[in-house]
Amino acid sequence: MIPSLVEAKGLARSYAQRRGLFGRSVAVRAVDGVSLRVSAGETLGIVGESGSGKSTLGRMVLGLEAPDEGAVRFDGADMPKFGTVEWRRARARMQMIFQDPLGALDRRLAILDQVREPLDIHRRHEPAERTDKALAMLARVGLSRHLAARYPHELSGGQRQRVVLARALMTEPALLVCDEPVSALDVSIQAQVVNLLVDLQEEMRLAMLFISHDLRVVRQVSRRVAVMYLGRFVEEGDADDLFADPRHPYTQALVSAAPTPGARQKRITLTGEPPNPAERPSGCAFHPRCPLATSRCRAEAPAMRTVEGGRRVACHLAEDPAHLARKAA
Amino acid sequence: MTDRALDNAPARPGHLAALKAIPPLVWVAILWLAAVLFVAIFADLVAPYSYTAPNLRNRLVAPGHALHWLGTDELGRDVLSRLIVSIRISLLIAFGATVISACFGTALGFLAAYFRGLVEQAVLMLADFQASMPFLILALAVLAFFGSSLVLLVGLMGLFGWERYARIARGLAISAGAQGYASAVTQLGAPPTQVYLRHILPNIASTLIVSMTLVFPEVILLESGLSFLGLGVQPPMTSLGNMVGFGREYITRAPWIMLAPASVIVLTTLSVSLLGDWLRDRLDPTLQ
Amino acid sequence: MARFVTLRLLRAALTIALVVTFAFIVLRMSGDPAQIILGPEADPEAIRAFRKSWGLDAPLWQQYFQYFGAIAQGELGRSMRDGRAAIELVAERIPATLALTLPALFLKLAIGIPAGIFAALNRGRFADRAIMLLSVAGFTVPSFVLGLVLVLVFAVQLGWLPSGGQDSWRHAILPILTLGIGGAAVLARFTRSAMLEVLGQPYIRTASAKGVPWRLVVTGHALPNAAIPTVTIVGFMVGSLIAGAVVVESVFSWPGVGRLLVVAVSNRDLAVVQCILLLVAATMVASNLIVDFLYGFLDPRLRHAGGKAGV
Repeated sequence: MIPSLVEAKGLARSYAQRRGLFGRSVAVRAVDGVSLRVSAGETLGIVGESGSGKSTLGRMVLGLEAPDEGAVRFDGADMPKFGTVEWRRARARMQMIFQDPLGALDRRLAILDQVREPLDIHRRHEPAERTDKALAMLARVGLSRHLAARYPHELSGGQRQRVVLARALMTEPALLVCDEPVSALDVSIQAQVVNLLVDLQEEMRLAMLFISHDLRVVRQVSRRVAVMYLGRFVEEGDADDLFADPRHPYTQALVSAAPTPGARQKRITLTGEPPNPAERPSGCAFHPRCPLATSRCRAEAPAMRTVEGGRRVACHLAEDPAHLARKAA
Repeated sequence: MTDRALDNAPARPGHLAALKAIPPLVWVAILWLAAVLFVAIFADLVAPYSYTAPNLRNRLVAPGHALHWLGTDELGRDVLSRLIVSIRISLLIAFGATVISACFGTALGFLAAYFRGLVEQAVLMLADFQASMPFLILALAVLAFFGSSLVLLVGLMGLFGWERYARIARGLAISAGAQGYASAVTQLGAPPTQVYLRHILPNIASTLIVSMTLVFPEVILLESGLSFLGLGVQPPMTSLGNMVGFGREYITRAPWIMLAPASVIVLTTLSVSLLGDWLRDRLDPTLQ
Repeated sequence: MARFVTLRLLRAALTIALVVTFAFIVLRMSGDPAQIILGPEADPEAIRAFRKSWGLDAPLWQQYFQYFGAIAQGELGRSMRDGRAAIELVAERIPATLALTLPALFLKLAIGIPAGIFAALNRGRFADRAIMLLSVAGFTVPSFVLGLVLVLVFAVQLGWLPSGGQDSWRHAILPILTLGIGGAAVLARFTRSAMLEVLGQPYIRTASAKGVPWRLVVTGHALPNAAIPTVTIVGFMVGSLIAGAVVVESVFSWPGVGRLLVVAVSNRDLAVVQCILLLVAATMVASNLIVDFLYGFLDPRLRHAGGKAGV
């Protein structure tokens, strides 16, 4: 087995939320006991609705936020504390792609300067060489040379995301966390950027954490996929398997809602309130919306267990696939 | 090969177009300020006489005199020459004070945004305190305790308005850090000094400059007020407010001694205010 | 609500403490008080006695607390000039100052608020531009220039009114006008921008789209909401009733608190300056408190927002 580059164990993070003038602050658990591992050259996709805690998870994996519980290990060492010199140095090896590329770029600096900046920060190469390296990277992400002197607002959304990508890859990182990298882009451009990401990942043997609410995009990019609901993984497994045969009722609902060519499935519509981390239901957090929920689901939170084929599911009903299939049909 | 065809980012209006859109009143303001600036810089060359040279034979000469265009004062000193030197000193103090307060306030605002917690609370409390006390009274208290000197005066007025820059800088830095370029650059591994000075500062500079043009006239008014009361610039040095203060005694016999500096004060503050208002409307409508 | 009130009171107390600290630091930094008060030729024995009696030989932190204690008991020192209690000297000047600042406040409100509302309702038209230009002019003209110009016109040229002094009600007219015009300009500008802000809100457009007559939209929705930010600036004006006339009192030789302050500053009469400083701080804090509570009353949102002040 390939040793994993990033390993997170039991990550949890709460935010204090205060209600009203007299309200006490309530701890909202955005992420609640998540473990994951990613190896070099591998992509782990994370799917979930907004509010599921997937962005917080991504930020903790990068060390941008300290977990309340659990720990992240990167390349066999503990993640340094945020803001320290070691933490800053480690940035050269792990990078992030943001949802809003315009927001992630400095409006007042030319593209070339921004792409060059990681080399300036980490003092890589001779100053004279850095510009050449930046131009080369721009070419590699498919941006022509004449865009180098432009400013972010003069570029299209897709071009901006390429710039962000180029900047992230300048120090040849080992890990890339992409938080909804294409959801702000036009659908026609999403595919181009996704293809570029996949190509670069293969070329550079990047470990990638790909966070999105969009199943199709995740499927295109990831070998393995984890489905997140209210701060916890509810199902995890090989991407093709998981989408072909979802075991958790939530995954089933997600998959049935996304149109898949060829397969004809019955559409499962989710009912009830969308998940609110401030009011986490008892037992299995999904039970109020689950069409199959039993009394056990209301009382007892299911543990993550491995079923056949390396698939991991956190559902009481998934223990008996036959039962589940019968009910769903 | 790329998605350049979809490039539909709105083009920024060019600088030439911006020039054409300047209203006539703002043009007048700019011209006046340019003239005042010129006079302040080349005061020594422009002034016809030494501003301290008395001429006892030509005392209280009315304006329009062939040798003294703006007349003379009670000691026969040339009002025009005194005015020119006063402009230089008043502008120097006002510029110095504005720059000091902008730097000081921005630095405190950045510190508050970076450290949050107690530091932020302390800065905000000081800002509230500063905003809630009439500055003139604080300034008078300090002058009473220390006596007046030019250095103290500039330093004191350098504290005027810092709380506005501090609030703006803090607010903008926090919003830049919460999401967007500042956190992106932090995430690249840049040290905080670089994040704040290379990225955040240039991005909020236009807002800060607009605030400076809004504070500047108030600084001129403050200095001239203090000097008028005899507690600012001390003779033999002269400033605009100082001239008005001394000219007041001759208001019945020689009103020009007081009217000349008074109109320079009014025209200058009015010009900076008009320019500042216009800049704010153009560059930063979010400022109140 | 209890929490809101407590927070505000705490903040007010903190501001007063800051002013006292400011006075203490400045006082101590400016040199040896014994030397300053007794003069440079004072006998060393007298200086030692003075130090002992004022606790100046104690460590600085003790002095700091003693200073607080003395101020809490209303001991604000004696004037160097005639040895009278500083607080007495200041108190007897207050009526004269209020005789100027109260009518001036009324004038500011009577001119500034209607002008601001009128400008906002006629946004972009000639009336708006004229009012705004006047308003910019109004607060870029320093009060001493305005005052002197009024003197020049009404006292020197026309001879209608006296140029200074405090002998009859006619002496008060020019100072009140000077104070009122400048303040009205600031208030007009502020009211206008508050009104414009409110008029741009969706609920105003909704109300007028529903067919509510414009007059009712303005009086029923826009004015009450625009009043909220305007209250702040009026509060500041109320807070400066005592100290807002420093320059104007000097221009018109009006024997109020401001004139006293200027004279005290030039004579370095520290006890009097300190007394006025604290008095001003107290008035300011009190009016800020009133404004805060009014805000809570006018804007129900603030009552539930954890007592956070807007930025």
